[in-house]
Amino acid sequence: MTQQENLRERLKRLIIESLNLEGMTPEMIEDEAPLFGEGLGLDSVDALELVVALEKEFSCRIEGEETTREAFASVSAMASFVDSLNGSTLSQA
Amino acid sequence: MKVVITGVGAVSGFGWGVEELCRGLESGATSIRTPSVFDVEGQRTTLAAEVGPPDADAQMEIDHLRNLSRADIFAVIAAREALVRAGLEGGGPRTGVFCGGSTAGMAECEDFVGRIVGVRPGKPMLKLLASQQLNGPGDAVARDIGACGPVVGFSSACASGAMALGAALQAVRSGEVDVALAGGADSLCLLTYSGFNALRSVDPGACQPFRKDRQGLSLGEGAGMLVLESLDQAVARGAEPLAELAGYGASCDAHHMTAPHPEGDGALAAMQAALKDAGLEGIDIDAVNAHGTGTAHNDQSESCALRRLLGDRSPEVPLTAPKGALGHVLGAAGALEAVASVVALERGAVFPTAGSAPADSDLHIDLVLENPRQLPPTSQTWISTNFAFGGANAALVVRRLV
Amino acid sequence: MKISISGLGVVTSGAWGWDEAERIFSAADPKPVNIDRSAGYHREGGARKAMLVDSARMGDWLKPMAARRMSPASRFAVCASLMAYRDAGLEILPYDGTTAVVMGTTYGAAFVTEKILRQVFLEGPESVSPALFTESVANAPAAQVALAVGARGANNTVTQRQVSVIAALKQADALLRSGVADRVLVGAVDEMSPLLHAILDRFAALAQPDDDGVETGRPFDARGSGWLGAEGAAVVLLEREDDVRNRGGLVRARLFGAGSAFDPGAPRSGWGKSPGPRAEGLGAFLVDHGLSPGNVDRVVCSAGGLPEADRLEAKLIREVLGERGLPPVLAPMATAGSHGGVLLAASVLAAAGATFGPTPGFAVPDREAGIVPHDGRPMPGPETVLLTACAPGGSAGWALLGRGDV
Repeated sequence: MTQQENLRERLKRLIIESLNLEGMTPEMIEDEAPLFGEGLGLDSVDALELVVALEKEFSCRIEGEETTREAFASVSAMASFVDSLNGSTLSQA
Repeated sequence: MKVVITGVGAVSGFGWGVEELCRGLESGATSIRTPSVFDVEGQRTTLAAEVGPPDADAQMEIDHLRNLSRADIFAVIAAREALVRAGLEGGGPRTGVFCGGSTAGMAECEDFVGRIVGVRPGKPMLKLLASQQLNGPGDAVARDIGACGPVVGFSSACASGAMALGAALQAVRSGEVDVALAGGADSLCLLTYSGFNALRSVDPGACQPFRKDRQGLSLGEGAGMLVLESLDQAVARGAEPLAELAGYGASCDAHHMTAPHPEGDGALAAMQAALKDAGLEGIDIDAVNAHGTGTAHNDQSESCALRRLLGDRSPEVPLTAPKGALGHVLGAAGALEAVASVVALERGAVFPTAGSAPADSDLHIDLVLENPRQLPPTSQTWISTNFAFGGANAALVVRRLV
Repeated sequence: MKISISGLGVVTSGAWGWDEAERIFSAADPKPVNIDRSAGYHREGGARKAMLVDSARMGDWLKPMAARRMSPASRFAVCASLMAYRDAGLEILPYDGTTAVVMGTTYGAAFVTEKILRQVFLEGPESVSPALFTESVANAPAAQVALAVGARGANNTVTQRQVSVIAALKQADALLRSGVADRVLVGAVDEMSPLLHAILDRFAALAQPDDDGVETGRPFDARGSGWLGAEGAAVVLLEREDDVRNRGGLVRARLFGAGSAFDPGAPRSGWGKSPGPRAEGLGAFLVDHGLSPGNVDRVVCSAGGLPEADRLEAKLIREVLGERGLPPVLAPMATAGSHGGVLLAASVLAAAGATFGPTPGFAVPDREAGIVPHDGRPMPGPETVLLTACAPGGSAGWALLGRGDV
């Protein structure tokens, strides 16, 4: 598994665990599938829940609705977002 | 049967009493500031409308109220004031208490929990929980005034106070009680403060209802209590009614746990139900006491509902949103805002909405700003709204007696 | 105007649904389970048991995906409401402005509150779960019920400790009589958490282990040491009787009315020694409904084994209904644990003529209480059931139910 695949797997587990998606497995979430609205059917409260989970998991701060909407579009988008955090916030920390 | 309000009492960020509330609202200032009841360290925001220390006389009165929670004390002081204003002794089998609240003695309970998990000093004493239960403030009022009729707590989050008033109105109309003490009380606590911050719905500054740059609500605390009785009874005993509680309506969005219906379906249904109950229509509304939390979604949804209710008149009906001055007092909001509406009716004016930014012009409402707006002598009817978590909506119609 | 109960739903320890509830009341054999004491909230010794809901069976009514953000209380209330709808043969409409929801709760979101406060204190406010907070309000169950059945009428949550369920019936009754609603889903719901259990035990409210380590609520018994902590929900569908007839539904039982009174002289956390204004209130209520004490065929009461509470309720019942010739007095909380749903479920079943087994834990009458609760013998067919409940702090409430078509 590549580092990217590892991160995506980790994010999928985080999504399932923090949103209490009982009965779902990481394999059931596609990398590019939309998480909100049509896709998994998540909503704004789920987005906030994911923010808290990500902040804990990656020791970062995530601000702004716009950022969140883009970053949480899909698992792929979320992985890129976390990568960008690693490049900026985390390296500075 | 006409049901009238013959007494009002209030505890708010402006102080202990209706006079303090009135002066504060009239001034256009806000009571939202840095709270001292708990440490805001680690929270996303740092402000709230806290009830400050009372003057020496009031403090003596409070000192006699032993082992009550902060919310209980607010409720009892407001109820006493309302009874005095009504010229009633209160009590007895024909008096009921209907009290809204969302967290009751949670602040004291938190102290207990902090101690039991070992992060706060001291033993987890049961005394801290003596008034923890949700019906605590209503029971405290009933005990204080000697009420022997029905005592019922209402806990529908931000609509609790309005719902308590609705139930009290029904109880007076049906003859279940002759006198109802009705309202709500809530105190600041970490549970709600941390929770609303976690939802990122708190403005980092003082909240700015219906403004373009609004960023969320501000929390507050306090109590509002009102005395309700039939007009006939009030007249017979020579009391001077302050206003008529003409109608009540409620609905549920059944849309989302936290987000209001975007077009304000539920809000509209509650307002229409309240008007129907009062035998009135949208055209009769002279002023609006809005829920106006200052969150992007609430104010958008609420103004949408108002436009649907008021039609072309929407940009001309004066509207005030007391949460800019009082913060969101949650379970007490409906009650405290009803008190504000009653005193505004008495003065024939609409109080300004605190905050410095101009109104959000996209909302097409007539937001009263900076100074009180005097209403024409013909104006008579207010509507006051409250919308809660879980989509529970309530509206009250308050009228000046002519 | 006649108000009818046309649908029933119940979720409680040992029972998912009405048939199972009927069986547990008939068997009268409570099986409390261990509560999680690992957090260290509990005192040394003390109660270890509670009547908890077997949540593994929720899936029949509510899919995990739909329930993922719901508190235990919300889950109980939604499942019980869906049962009531199905029982009534009603379809769920997407937009239903004439259906109201009224829930009574004693403790509110106990489980969720405990979790959030732990997050605040042990991990810091930034770690508070936003989703959890949305369920921390006492009206979360009522709101989730409204979402589940599309009920857009009034949505109300009342709380008056043990009297909450009666306060809810009262509000629901008023909504129907005033014409504000055509249907009301009304009930009671509570969730138990380790912290709530520990607090109740520290207040000496819960049944203590006997010499054999058994914890039993012993209503009106000289050995009573407290009640069985419990969780669950019961929800009934209320409609005006004409509406039920017009849609071809079945009247399972009737609600004649409900009310409550308060004794300002009662201690803040106790029941008090004398019913005082509470007895006057109940007496006036019966007169208002044209009943003499002899017309009451069953009493369903909230006595659960805490002597102070049971004695007050016994005095209330005796003072109003008379010292002699009392009808059978049922104390269902000894069977199913102390939550408001049990009172509602037992009253409706009693009105429908269900069989109730002997009162668990009762053997040695408490002289001061002076009531011998139901001993399991066959009861004559009921016409009128009086439900009573007494709360610490001074409230007492009552409701009158009658038999239906079946």
